[in-house]
Amino acid sequence: MHIRRKASSGTMQSSDLMVTVEPSDLLQIEIESTVKKQFEHLIRAQITATLEHLGVTTGRIQISDRGALDYAIAARIETAIRRASEE
Amino acid sequence: MADPSTLREAQSLIESQGLRFEPDLDDLVGLYDNGRMVGCGARKGYVLKMLAILPDYQGTSVLGELVTRLTLGGMAAGHDTLFIYTQPQSAPSFQSLNFRLLVTQGPVALLEHGPGLEAYLGDHAAQIAPGQNGAVVINGNPFTLGHLHLVETAAQRVDRLYLFVVREDRSAFPFDVRFRLAQEATTHLENVVVLDTSRYAVSAGTFPSYFLKRLDEVAMAQMGIDVRLFAQRIAPKFHITTRFVGEEPHCTTTAAYNQVMSEVLHEHAIQWVEVPRILAGGSPISATRVRQAFIDNEIDALKNLVPESTFEFLRSAPARPIADCLRSC
Repeated sequence: MHIRRKASSGTMQSSDLMVTVEPSDLLQIEIESTVKKQFEHLIRAQITATLEHLGVTTGRIQISDRGALDYAIAARIETAIRRASEE
Repeated sequence: MADPSTLREAQSLIESQGLRFEPDLDDLVGLYDNGRMVGCGARKGYVLKMLAILPDYQGTSVLGELVTRLTLGGMAAGHDTLFIYTQPQSAPSFQSLNFRLLVTQGPVALLEHGPGLEAYLGDHAAQIAPGQNGAVVINGNPFTLGHLHLVETAAQRVDRLYLFVVREDRSAFPFDVRFRLAQEATTHLENVVVLDTSRYAVSAGTFPSYFLKRLDEVAMAQMGIDVRLFAQRIAPKFHITTRFVGEEPHCTTTAAYNQVMSEVLHEHAIQWVEVPRILAGGSPISATRVRQAFIDNEIDALKNLVPESTFEFLRSAPARPIADCLRSC
């Protein structure tokens, strides 16, 4: 999939995350998280795996996380990407 | 925008929490439980404000819900970075929503969410040079010979001079014009770099005061936040050791501002240098005087007040609507 426009998903609630994606020539992943110190590497790994699964190679991905679990991260990322790639 | 009865409901909720209602807003969200508004919040441009939640609902998901809505609305309006000014004791609630604390001053805390200051500094990494650097912050509405004198004087005394042009568009001359005129007037000065302040010059125009008990605190709080943001967040990154300002013999607001600035900068070991105004026809050159000569079409007077580049612009077609606007307001 390809990010054609800016799109968001998710919320700022506890155990959730808010994802914003927009077009970019590079792949940029920016992570804010209340558990960044402990889990940034795992959050990044989950985002990267989800992007690979969806075939996304470029785009700016910003997330604001409040301790979401892996499947929530995957679902929110996929939703934002699908919204951003609609014709 | 909300209908009058919703606005009144929001206003009474805001006031019940000891805050003041400010009608200047772009977006207002309310959260209801059984038909009763239990929380609300507003956004003006990139600034969130007037977040108010009934005590029984504080510490629940209400704040996250309100801020999510306001943030999505802000992003849709093109604001990736959002500010919140609040009381320092409320800062942790916003930090748990991934807002970062930028600065605290007396009764005010400023936090931001999004790419923000880090992205701003990253974008300017190429212009950051080591050394004993200086800063001048101007609105430049428009750029005058007075500004030029200040910049030239300052540039001689530092390794590199950063000339920050205030981004906030509350002036007759739009930002892109003010920025370009500052650049054009200073091309001959090799150690001067013109920069955009982005959101990081806090003007009275964007500073909300809904959380301050007394209105006479507002101006001082705004100035304090602005100067501390500069001293703590901007100056160290750009290796700024001296800030230069134009002397303000007439304007009491700016004079008070300079007083606060010299004190705060001193606390942060940044030198503060006041440069006397230069005169034209016996009185100091100011942007106010230039604007007056501009709308009165006093071409000869203008020549003695502004550099060539500003003069050319004032005589060009794109300047005409600005003159019309100045005359009408």
